[in-house]
Amino acid sequence: MIAYLLKRLGLSVAVICAVAIMLFGLLQLIPGDPVTIALGPRASPEAVQRYAEKMHLDEPVWMQFAIFARNVATGDLGVDVFNDRPVAAIIGERIGFTLVLIGTAMGWAVLLGMPLGCLAAIRPGSWLDRITGVLSVGTIAVPSFLVSIWALLIFSVNLRWLPAIGSGEPGDIADQATHLILPAFAVGLSWVGYLARMVRASMLEVMGETYIRSARAFGLTERKVVYGYALRVAILPTITLIGMGFGGLISAAVFAEIIFARPGLGKLIFDSVMARNFPVVQGAVIVATSLYIFVVLFADLLIAWLDPRVRDAL
Amino acid sequence: MNNYKLSRRGFLASGVALGALGLAAGRPTPVFAQQDSVLRLRLDGDNKILDPGYMIGGTEVEAQKQCLPFLAQYTRDGDTFGWEPTYYVTKLEQRTPTEIDFELTEGLVWSNGYGPLKASDVKYSYERMKGTDWGGYFDALDHVEVTGDRTGTIVLNKPFAPFFMVTLCHGPGAILCEKAVEDAGGKFTTSFPAVCGPYTYDSVPGQNATFTLNPEWTGPKPAYDKVVLNVISEVKAAELAFEAGEIDCTELGSDTLARYATQQPEGSEITTAGELQYMWMGMNTEHPKLQNKTVRQAIQHAIDVDSILAGAFSGTSAKSHGIVCPGLIGHRDANKSYSYDPAKAQQLMAESGESGLTLSLRTLNTQERMLTAQIIQANLAVIGITVEILPLDSGPFWEMGMESAGDTWKDLQLWTMRFAGTPDPYEAAQWFVSSQVGIWNWERWTDPEYDRLYDEGLAETDPAKRDEIYIRMQDIMEETGAYVWINHEPEVYIHDADIEISAAPSGELDYRRFKPA
Repeated sequence: MIAYLLKRLGLSVAVICAVAIMLFGLLQLIPGDPVTIALGPRASPEAVQRYAEKMHLDEPVWMQFAIFARNVATGDLGVDVFNDRPVAAIIGERIGFTLVLIGTAMGWAVLLGMPLGCLAAIRPGSWLDRITGVLSVGTIAVPSFLVSIWALLIFSVNLRWLPAIGSGEPGDIADQATHLILPAFAVGLSWVGYLARMVRASMLEVMGETYIRSARAFGLTERKVVYGYALRVAILPTITLIGMGFGGLISAAVFAEIIFARPGLGKLIFDSVMARNFPVVQGAVIVATSLYIFVVLFADLLIAWLDPRVRDAL
Repeated sequence: MNNYKLSRRGFLASGVALGALGLAAGRPTPVFAQQDSVLRLRLDGDNKILDPGYMIGGTEVEAQKQCLPFLAQYTRDGDTFGWEPTYYVTKLEQRTPTEIDFELTEGLVWSNGYGPLKASDVKYSYERMKGTDWGGYFDALDHVEVTGDRTGTIVLNKPFAPFFMVTLCHGPGAILCEKAVEDAGGKFTTSFPAVCGPYTYDSVPGQNATFTLNPEWTGPKPAYDKVVLNVISEVKAAELAFEAGEIDCTELGSDTLARYATQQPEGSEITTAGELQYMWMGMNTEHPKLQNKTVRQAIQHAIDVDSILAGAFSGTSAKSHGIVCPGLIGHRDANKSYSYDPAKAQQLMAESGESGLTLSLRTLNTQERMLTAQIIQANLAVIGITVEILPLDSGPFWEMGMESAGDTWKDLQLWTMRFAGTPDPYEAAQWFVSSQVGIWNWERWTDPEYDRLYDEGLAETDPAKRDEIYIRMQDIMEETGAYVWINHEPEVYIHDADIEISAAPSGELDYRRFKPA
């Protein structure tokens, strides 16, 4: 397990390095003068010079990359172009909102999607299975930004049951929870479908295994067979799905944060791109990527711990 | 105490238990309306730098207006904008073309124990601005003479008619507390070192900015005890938040404005702040394909601007006839030398001797600009000109006519452009003088009369004479054949009908001047 852990950690660091290099390269490829893009076409010469110096744009590209790589390696994500605040501090203020949103969205999706998948698998072809199938495909097919807008129009604009914008009063947990309902619903809805489909498919596969037949042959109750044996094995691919899907969750959270005006990493990236605040964009993308890689790593390690056969696969 | 050990079996069992749980539905709590004395507005992004010398502009100006002294403020009479002294002064008077006397109101104090507002603060603030990012607004300032604790004279280095409207009323005209700013290191970013205004300022990055009543303020009390601005970057999200009753006022996009023309939310009202944006299609008079003035004039006659306004802007913007916006001295309400006339355009093309002309039209890749470009493409096809549309991101777009940014300017043929400015015609006119060729005069014409009139317009204080000057300048521009005027897009706000809002011509809101309708 230790060897597997070290291999996976090494691979994760390599991926983060590759992403950082690609990010730097892509920002270099953006057409137009970065100072004009950042400060607008009519910025004063003094502001242009100050920005260029602060961003090291007056240095050769290789030197810019060396400075960028050194800063990332030492955890220095730079400072906000406009007000000199450390990017790490800005990200620190926002990341919690995104994690809470993603956690809540995935939480309710798991609570609903897994039982639906189980119920559909127990009686394949039944009306419940068919309804679950239609609902699953339906929720997967609808993009989260559309769900966000519809939810907002129905529950905030028309019914006025739930708040439309913001994250609630700081310190007021109930208010914050109320503000979380619609965004978490929008982000998590497609995952209900994903999880239900995945659990159903895994359960059906496992239910056909010989050891399940043996269990039945030994006279175990159907409940014991389904929940005691089949679901334990069928849950493994679900963990992989959740881990791999974390990137998609971050993307969905970006839309939800913009539409519901919630502070978070996604909205920070969006606002920073709009303001051409490239140090914040770079820092936030690297943190989001690292977060994704960490979650995938965690999921892989969890699978390896649960299923020893996986450890030898790398 | 029991030792708990997480085993694989235990984990899987927990997962199964989790999976077997049903959905516990929470009962939502209704959202109640805010207190009457709280105004809820939109902030389109965090305020980054509140220091008037280094701000980005926009909402930072709004914050300054609530917390810092100004000598003058905008007024509006129908569609015409003007200025008046603020309650920070008991006197603000132009004694000579280059001298403006002022006397500050007695009893106004800075917060944080920095004492009374003094004339030396005015001197410090304005002379400091000359070396900052917004120093261009103070080019005409020579110095400020302090003649007493609360009295002084602003001395200009040349007569500069726009000084009140462009400099004193706008964000750069904010007055700072000398001692507080110096104690803060000479600059500040996200909090004011000292305020002297009806409100104090606080913000939570990414969430909101809050203005609460300043207990040390001795001036007129504003109508609202608290103003909360929620950070909502997207105008569409803000519009929905307004419809959901969560904010009391927000800016509107043109498509929503068109929708509200038929179905406006109940209990709401629409206010137009100003139309200080001017959009046109430019032609490069030096390009070989466009050096023939008759071709340019044919293009002027061929483009149906009314179709553009209807098709691309949903009929929500005013037709333009020049660079000076509605409500300002020098605004034109008709073209002088051309109108939409396809027959005349075809005749001019025939006279020009050109045929099979193919031109490129560069545009920003936004919805309205792309639709505008497509309508122009269709219009010019009628007179035998094939237009290739080149959509661009803002980076390459904003430098394509600049000689310092490469050679694109040599190949520049047609483009759509929009500028915005402050409420004085000089600012719009400044980009087209001879010295701007290769910088912002992308049409690349020069005219000695235009240059002379530009200088005259700066020094002239008689509004009637200034009106003549700027109208003549636009006549000159139009006669080059290099312009097709398109529109002036308004800054429009929707708000609760029981609120009367106050907005600068360029759209910045002034919350202290909001009041119940």
